[in-house]
Amino acid sequence: MDTLHAHLEALFDDLELVIGWETGYEPLRPTPAFLRSREDLSRLVWNPLCAPNLSVYLPGILKDAKETGKKIGVCLKGCDSRSLGALVQEGFVERERLYVVGLPCPGTVDPEALAEARKSSAPVTHVSFRDGLLAITSRDGTEEIELERVLARRCRRCRHPNPLHADVILGDPVPPRRTEPSFSDVDAVEAMSLEERRAYWEEELSRCLRCYACRNACPLCVCRDRCLAESRTPKWTTQRDGVRDKFLFHMIHALHLAGRCTECGECERVCPVGIPVALFKEKMARIALELWDYQAGTDPAATPPLQTFDPSETGI
Amino acid sequence: MPKVVTNDNPYLPHMGTIREIIQETPNIKTFRIVLDDPEEMAAFRFEPGQVGQLSVFGVGESTFVINSPPTRREYLQFSVMKTGEVTRALHRLSEGDPIGVRAPLGNSFPVDELKGKDILFVGGGIGMAPLRTLLLTMADRREEFGDITVIYGARSPQDLCYRYEFDEWKAAGVNLILTVDREFPGWEERVGFVPTVLAEEAPSPFNRVAITCGPPIMIKFVLAGLKELGYEDDQILTTLERRMKCGIGLCGRCNIGDTYVCVDGPVFSNTQLRRMVSEL
Amino acid sequence: MEQAFFLADAELQEALAGLSAQADVWVPASDARKPGLVRFRRFQPGLTVRLDARSLVSAKEVLFPRSETLLRFTKEKDLSVPAGHRIHLDDARTVRPVVVFGCRPCDARGFLTFDPVFTKGPYRDPYYSERREKTTFVSLVCRDADAACFCSAVGSGPADPEGSDAQLIPVDGGYVLRPVTERGAALLEPIGRTAAPEQIREAQDVLDQVGRETVGEGSLTTLAEAFRARFQDPAFWHAHIDKCLSCGLCTFVCPTCYCFTITDEARGLNGERIRSWDACMFPHFTLEASGHNPRPSKVERYRNRVGHKFSYFPARYGQVACCGCGRCVRHCPVSVDIRAVVRDLPAQEEAHA
Repeated sequence: MDTLHAHLEALFDDLELVIGWETGYEPLRPTPAFLRSREDLSRLVWNPLCAPNLSVYLPGILKDAKETGKKIGVCLKGCDSRSLGALVQEGFVERERLYVVGLPCPGTVDPEALAEARKSSAPVTHVSFRDGLLAITSRDGTEEIELERVLARRCRRCRHPNPLHADVILGDPVPPRRTEPSFSDVDAVEAMSLEERRAYWEEELSRCLRCYACRNACPLCVCRDRCLAESRTPKWTTQRDGVRDKFLFHMIHALHLAGRCTECGECERVCPVGIPVALFKEKMARIALELWDYQAGTDPAATPPLQTFDPSETGI
Repeated sequence: MPKVVTNDNPYLPHMGTIREIIQETPNIKTFRIVLDDPEEMAAFRFEPGQVGQLSVFGVGESTFVINSPPTRREYLQFSVMKTGEVTRALHRLSEGDPIGVRAPLGNSFPVDELKGKDILFVGGGIGMAPLRTLLLTMADRREEFGDITVIYGARSPQDLCYRYEFDEWKAAGVNLILTVDREFPGWEERVGFVPTVLAEEAPSPFNRVAITCGPPIMIKFVLAGLKELGYEDDQILTTLERRMKCGIGLCGRCNIGDTYVCVDGPVFSNTQLRRMVSEL
Repeated sequence: MEQAFFLADAELQEALAGLSAQADVWVPASDARKPGLVRFRRFQPGLTVRLDARSLVSAKEVLFPRSETLLRFTKEKDLSVPAGHRIHLDDARTVRPVVVFGCRPCDARGFLTFDPVFTKGPYRDPYYSERREKTTFVSLVCRDADAACFCSAVGSGPADPEGSDAQLIPVDGGYVLRPVTERGAALLEPIGRTAAPEQIREAQDVLDQVGRETVGEGSLTTLAEAFRARFQDPAFWHAHIDKCLSCGLCTFVCPTCYCFTITDEARGLNGERIRSWDACMFPHFTLEASGHNPRPSKVERYRNRVGHKFSYFPARYGQVACCGCGRCVRHCPVSVDIRAVVRDLPAQEEAHA
């Protein structure tokens, strides 16, 4: 933390602003922070509760930014940095306008798992993290909880805890939990019979509120205000509350991310009703890997496999 | 299980039939609609300025001012510019087709307060529709009002609505000033933007109320022009448009601050407009 | 507490089954595979009822379904009219009595925002009103406030009976049921036995103790003017809202957000006109056919959400449109905190005065 503050302090004159995290309404909820002055930097926090993937803001903020010649600083975890890579690949972000602070990530917390692991349910007053242990303080005292016990699903399958495409890496490299791609959660669903699988998704998706948090939190959902989920012309989905329309939306979402999803898991993290929507995208990522040996966002110079369309190509 | 059937459902349209369709301009059609139930039609009452929701079943509803005057009740008239999903569907309808009507909705022009006054209408394009209902009301009750001047403009002569009744307006003692944005062959009326013509004509604000409707940019300059001529805020009336769904003050999208255009409007004085939060 | 009943923990399922004979009974319940996922569900025997947990999503859908049919239209052949067909409209509907059992006071109070809008007019919404008239709320006195809760800051509190027809008060071995309204008394009569004096005493103590608790800081009920003064202060709104993702989560989990859309879902001339939840945070909500949008970015949209709850609604209906349940804060993907936004509305010098 001190290194992060000191590093950004020293650089701040050359930066328009820094996007990082600050303590939210309670220390368990760090929230994205747009730090525009040197004094603001003191609000910056970095720990395994810093879940939001800040790359989601980059296309918008670069579009709106004044041409001051100064760069925009952004703090990115390993998985966040892959999203940046994909945005650069697709031309939504000009890498040279950013100053990327890469933060090797020990993994992020699943709030529900943490709530279950805690003995106290009292509001939290302080959080610290050291040597794989979260120390959580409330009026009932301080509890120490192993991060490994309360890890988010996305982090259990993480191969990229160490950021790519960064200008600077602050902190010691973290050994990846996985060295090979893991699709065991997709396997588990695919092991179901067709009927079981249908029942499984019908039950999960029946809860969908169509709040579109999954879509809006996705750094690669670049259509933003023009999503066809809400389009009436052409009309793809109805406003009925049935599973059919919800399923269709989530399929469209997944297909639009085929060969583009960087597996940051934000879509699943933000779902208010706990639908494992990232599984759809993991399936797509697996296909991209098997078909083209391609992992989105790892090589900013690569062309995404589904964007190689060439009108002059013969045979299409 | 008890079954509740109520006739008191504000979402339930009256069924009507399109008696006549008039192609006003390349992208504006006027629909003359008669409610299917003769008793409903006979009992239908509204005030000038009130709006209705037209239903194309399977597509949806959209809001339009009833631009026929309450003094003429053989049909209800709506003019529709083709812009979105519902208006495109409306333009595909034919004479004799069924159509849903939820009306009247919203407030109206304060006709009684306008009695004895000189009136200035300033309209642009489709914005003449809400003015027409009041203009014809006044024409039908001509002796109750003073001078009536209309400044009406459009981009080109073929973009002027209600051309076929201009002579009728004039015969009723309306001082009609027409303008188009630029010269056109055969056009012998004024040329220039509406606010410019307003400044040239400079109708005196003494004992006069100005009523304006048109595209937002025109309204902006007309309001400035009227102020220049000495009109006070409460001497200026306009009608607002917002995206609407329910039309009855519930669905939450047509608000400008705490004002709901659907139930508090669409008619507002400039005094009211200035009190609103700035979110037009 | 004059009249009260006692319901033992072990009798809960039976009591709910009894109520279900006459009404749809909605209870907080957890999903089979996900114990942490508590939401309102229709009671059926064997459901894991979770009176101990707050529901993730509010009870709004009980009276205001995510999607409901306003009317059905059908094309009917009729050669006597020029078009050769008529459109038949049908708005018939059935209304079953509903009991919301074990919601928190904030959930019940949320409907006090709906009531003046949907039942009082200028137009009465028959769909909501008919259901509302047949709904009974039994709320549980709340001892589980978390860091996102702020009911006291909007004039309510964890033991607030307003909006509830009866209160459930946790006591040793079960609950004391205290009628608040006549409807509540009529509902409870058949399911509970009269509480013993010591149970009533214990319940009164709980009620007194919880009633003294303050959940959330300060008061957010008198900031209508401050909002107007802040309206055109882009720096203020940007500082609070740059991180907003402009999704509809806050509005969809909210017990008081009632904005909706109306769409036709049909094949040709046969189909339904439905009303479904919509959100002022979505760009298309106010997007006009011309392409003009009076609330074009998340700044104007979020400002409208805050304004609606804390300024516009108070101006029209004399109360804030917020029950302080904290769901928008708790579930926001990026922890936007409406309390902080509203609290910061007054200019700094006033805030410290």
